[in-house]
Amino acid sequence: MSATAAPPRAFGAPLKRKEDPRLLRGEGRYVADLKVHRMAHAAVLRSPHAHALVRAIRLDALRADPRTLDVVVGADVADLPHILCIDAEETTRLFTQPLLAVDKVRYVGEPLAVVVVEGDRYDAEDVLGLIDVEYEPLPAVVDAEAALANGAPILHEETNVCDVLEYATGDIGAIDRAPHRLRRRFVTQRHAGTPLETRGCLADYDARRDQITLWTSTQTPHGVKRGLAYHLGLPESALRVVAPDVGGGFGTKLQIYQEEVLICLLARRLRRPVKWVEDRWEHFVATTHGREQTHDIEVGYDEDGVVVGVRDHAVTDTGAYLARLTLVEPFIGVAMLRGPYRIPNFEARSAIVMTNKTPMNPFRGVGHIQAAQAMDGMLDDIARERGLDPAEVRRRNMLKPEELPLDIGVGNVLAGPVIYDSGNYPEALRRALELVGYDQFRAEQARMRERGRYLGIGIGCYVEETALGPYESGTVRVEPSGQVVVLTGACTSGQGHHTVLAQIAADELGVSPDDVVVVHGDTDLVREGVGTYASRSAPIAGTAVRNAGMAARRKILAVAEHLLEANAGDLVLEGGRVFVAGSPERGLALAEVAQAVAPGCDLPPGIDSYGIDETDIFHPPTNAFPYGVHVATVEVDIETGVVTPMKLAVVSDAGRLINPLIVEGQYQGGVALGIGGALLEEILYTEDGQPANPNFMDYLLPAVDNMPEILLDHLHTPTPHNPDGMKGCGEGGAIGPPAAIANAVSDALSPFGIVVTRTPVTPLRVYELLVEAGVVAPP
Amino acid sequence: MKPPAFDYAAPDLLDEAVSLLRSHEDAKVLAGGQSLLPLMNFRLAAPSLLVDLRRIRGLERLDAVDGVVRIGAMVRQRDAEERPETAAVPLLREALRHVAHPQIRSRGTIGGSVAHADPAAELPAVLVALDGRVRAVSSGGERWIDARDLFRGLFTTALEPAEILTEVELPIAPPRTGAACVEVARRSGDYALCGALAQVTLAVDGTVEAARVALIGVGSCPVRRVDVEEALEGEAPTAERIADASARAAGGLDPPSDVQASADYRRHLARVLTRRALELAVERAG
Amino acid sequence: MSTHRISMTVNGRTCEADVPARLTLADFVREHLDLTATHLGCEHGVCGACTVLVDGRAARSCILLAVQAEGAQITTLEGVARGSELHPVQRAFWEKHGMQCGFCTPGFVLTVVELLERHPTPTREQVSEALGGHLCRCTGYVKIVEAVDEAARLLAEERG
Repeated sequence: MSATAAPPRAFGAPLKRKEDPRLLRGEGRYVADLKVHRMAHAAVLRSPHAHALVRAIRLDALRADPRTLDVVVGADVADLPHILCIDAEETTRLFTQPLLAVDKVRYVGEPLAVVVVEGDRYDAEDVLGLIDVEYEPLPAVVDAEAALANGAPILHEETNVCDVLEYATGDIGAIDRAPHRLRRRFVTQRHAGTPLETRGCLADYDARRDQITLWTSTQTPHGVKRGLAYHLGLPESALRVVAPDVGGGFGTKLQIYQEEVLICLLARRLRRPVKWVEDRWEHFVATTHGREQTHDIEVGYDEDGVVVGVRDHAVTDTGAYLARLTLVEPFIGVAMLRGPYRIPNFEARSAIVMTNKTPMNPFRGVGHIQAAQAMDGMLDDIARERGLDPAEVRRRNMLKPEELPLDIGVGNVLAGPVIYDSGNYPEALRRALELVGYDQFRAEQARMRERGRYLGIGIGCYVEETALGPYESGTVRVEPSGQVVVLTGACTSGQGHHTVLAQIAADELGVSPDDVVVVHGDTDLVREGVGTYASRSAPIAGTAVRNAGMAARRKILAVAEHLLEANAGDLVLEGGRVFVAGSPERGLALAEVAQAVAPGCDLPPGIDSYGIDETDIFHPPTNAFPYGVHVATVEVDIETGVVTPMKLAVVSDAGRLINPLIVEGQYQGGVALGIGGALLEEILYTEDGQPANPNFMDYLLPAVDNMPEILLDHLHTPTPHNPDGMKGCGEGGAIGPPAAIANAVSDALSPFGIVVTRTPVTPLRVYELLVEAGVVAPP
Repeated sequence: MKPPAFDYAAPDLLDEAVSLLRSHEDAKVLAGGQSLLPLMNFRLAAPSLLVDLRRIRGLERLDAVDGVVRIGAMVRQRDAEERPETAAVPLLREALRHVAHPQIRSRGTIGGSVAHADPAAELPAVLVALDGRVRAVSSGGERWIDARDLFRGLFTTALEPAEILTEVELPIAPPRTGAACVEVARRSGDYALCGALAQVTLAVDGTVEAARVALIGVGSCPVRRVDVEEALEGEAPTAERIADASARAAGGLDPPSDVQASADYRRHLARVLTRRALELAVERAG
Repeated sequence: MSTHRISMTVNGRTCEADVPARLTLADFVREHLDLTATHLGCEHGVCGACTVLVDGRAARSCILLAVQAEGAQITTLEGVARGSELHPVQRAFWEKHGMQCGFCTPGFVLTVVELLERHPTPTREQVSEALGGHLCRCTGYVKIVEAVDEAARLLAEERG
């Protein structure tokens, strides 16, 4: 080994991002920015009714407008397959969605037709108004309970219950035998994902290659390509999907959508590029929602506040159709309900109910938010009932590191059994309490109460299932010029993949991350891939790059061994060269190594392929489980009901981190999402199924002044499931805040016996709780 | 979300503007566009003609003379906030800080906001609180409309269809005057669920010489609270007196109920925010 | 529907065009001038992604008609860099990781450029007020605020 000090590793360094200068200069290229010669514009006709029969669609006036180039309606594509739900269980009723509604519409926003015009988007919206649809409205149902009631309008057939997932582990009778039992209902509201960039796509048909190219704002270009092949019945070679710059996803862009299929169909038919950009109103009705779920949870516990068992009945109000991964929210909401707590006796039913609302798919943090809200809500209930400190109740119930790995006795089709891999939950709790200043806070809280001010502190904990397979691809290549190129199946929507994957490859090859080019998002260049969601890019895509990098390194050393007549063990890769340790002049540039095995050369003995070009398609053995503890402090103004978040301490463990600066950004951004869920965001529908707030004035995203002071700390317990021990960190920030803040508000208002079980915790809701508790006299 | 087609004119003269409004039934005045254009982008408003006031001279005057501040209709909210002349109307400055965000106030106008008459908006309430008035021009000539006669209902003023608001006039505050605008809004810059605007002038002996209170978000128009004012005038502004006076703030209110706030909650906030606004105004007056 | 000849200065260059009355300034710069860094996030004036400078002041280009901007000086993100060198505000966003997906960033940069021109050492309140007009779904705003502080520092350094 080299006697000199090893150069600093890029892995673990808080490097600033390679992506940024281009974007800062205004050279970003998002789908809406793309222009292709002869491009035509599309617009989508969407149902104004929540539930209606479609009696007729008349296109005469549309066709008479000289701007109209083409139109496709439900009848034209009725033979093509529905949007696929890939996590359906055997018991799941396949209430799937056609590409365009044919004789029934089931939610406001459901697409019925796509029009293409000669002109621009202004023209396209104009001609939409010329389509005459005859609807026969039906009664709508917008509430899961109502959808379950006798006589409820039925969306599909027979029943509005799509499935009931059931889990039981341990001795469920233990709950009934427990010395104490408590039960409560927790309600998590409907959310919209709302990345700042809406969806959109541009399809072009190349007659020379008989190939459609689709540029689309997606988290999964390979998924979209497979989807296009499936829906359109085309071979893979006829399709190329490219993700340009993508302005955020958070789950809203993790599947193929109807518009992507239809825009391709129209482009091919017209033999012209066709572009569709979703507008913000459309996004609220046409892009998948998240989170709406209720838990009726019962805990049995002993004298010391130790939980003996949990029984949960969850209902997910899912919307009008199954989307690609609709069952994840209902699954995770119960499967991960127990969080970091020791609860071997567990029984849960998770019902998935159809209502006349936009379909649901996973949204950042999926299901874990609701789980934390319910479970940590109950632990606070136990604390109140037993007269114990809530943090102490956590301590008494948390799993210890030596109890892991732990199979918690649940699993599903998509991800297999849930086996917590590694972690130190009590230490995360201890650190979070220290970070937020728990003891000092209790003293401060008491002082303020005497002055008529109500401060509260609340805890939310989670264990998160991430790093889903089935696989991800990574390629590391050294070109004859010496350029190091990384290909990845990950698809960035802001996570800095070009930087973090460069960091991994750079370490393997002894170059600077600045000298590594990362390519993603183009299915012609990256042949295999899955995409970015479920916090899988670092653990899965990163590992594929690590493995490919190691293979490239091995080959470089094998070639250099021959060329330098040295042993691989004596060779060092550093500064873009490979040389004998201690004698840097006895070495080669990486370019020379690559040139030595380029086609046309005689391959050295033992080398049986040309080029330095290694690919790994990493199939993770199972999922990883990052975890975290969030502790929030709030002040509640009991005159106005306004909740002001003060601090949010987040101690999380996502294993080893590639780039701590980027990780900080991920947690801070996640927390903002969580604040939105805790205090501001709620998708509302009127009784007859009309979206009540499909815009940014009425659906409230947090702004800078809504943010608490965020205090972050990390533990780094590696997962055994990949060589770098990475667990995935993109979602953790979003999971804890609703639980922590709801509990903090309950804590603030505990002198009045008020418990908050519903998010968002709006001023109106707090006021009504204060009136109910007799603290505020109604006017 | 693109607006439907329309015609556009930017006349040089006020008379031309009035004449265009008269001859097109579906025409609308375009001032800053910060309220109108979003509606048009949603295709919730579809005027056939927009008459832009931006080229008409005289609509950007801003001066303080003879005890009043006169603000031309096309004065941008940001200018109104920053120009020294408006320091003489502290309630206006206070209110403007709550109007949306600086990026909206760059383009939004004083006249536009008043004419739009959103009951949750601050500027109409300033007019109502201070008994201001507006000048309006139509083919019949010009007239002054007092604030108490101006706001008729939800997004409705006494302006005729072909009548243009050209100027807003507000009284200059006497010495020893403090003003406050206190709102409950979900995020800074959002429309208030409820808000109270208060201006208090103290006499030399520290008693309340004049009080002005108006509420937003509690009805279809801003609501002046004369009974609250009368309970304070002539009295020492103790915490008790202020609380007592503020208790009257909810009387006779018929606030709307929606998903953000119930009628009861708004009545409750009316009292609480009136009290807080008065306390702050008194503090600033002293 | 009427069309109008308009003339304005965009990033220092005079532009003339015939545009329909209903064309927004955002669509004018994006589609007619190929300056696509001005992004459309909501088209109702709330998110701030479309923010440009109009006569030096940050304004929403999605609720401003191109015809209203007749005679104005417009600055978009593409006009902020100083030739091939990033403006200190851009550099600060880079240094502090003040962006993730980059979609909201152009609007923020222009608001911050204006803020620091008017208030070289802004108060917390002034920073909050300026940034409060922008939505970001990725960053949680923490590093954007840090970028503002860093930009102020870099600009002060420049002034010497």
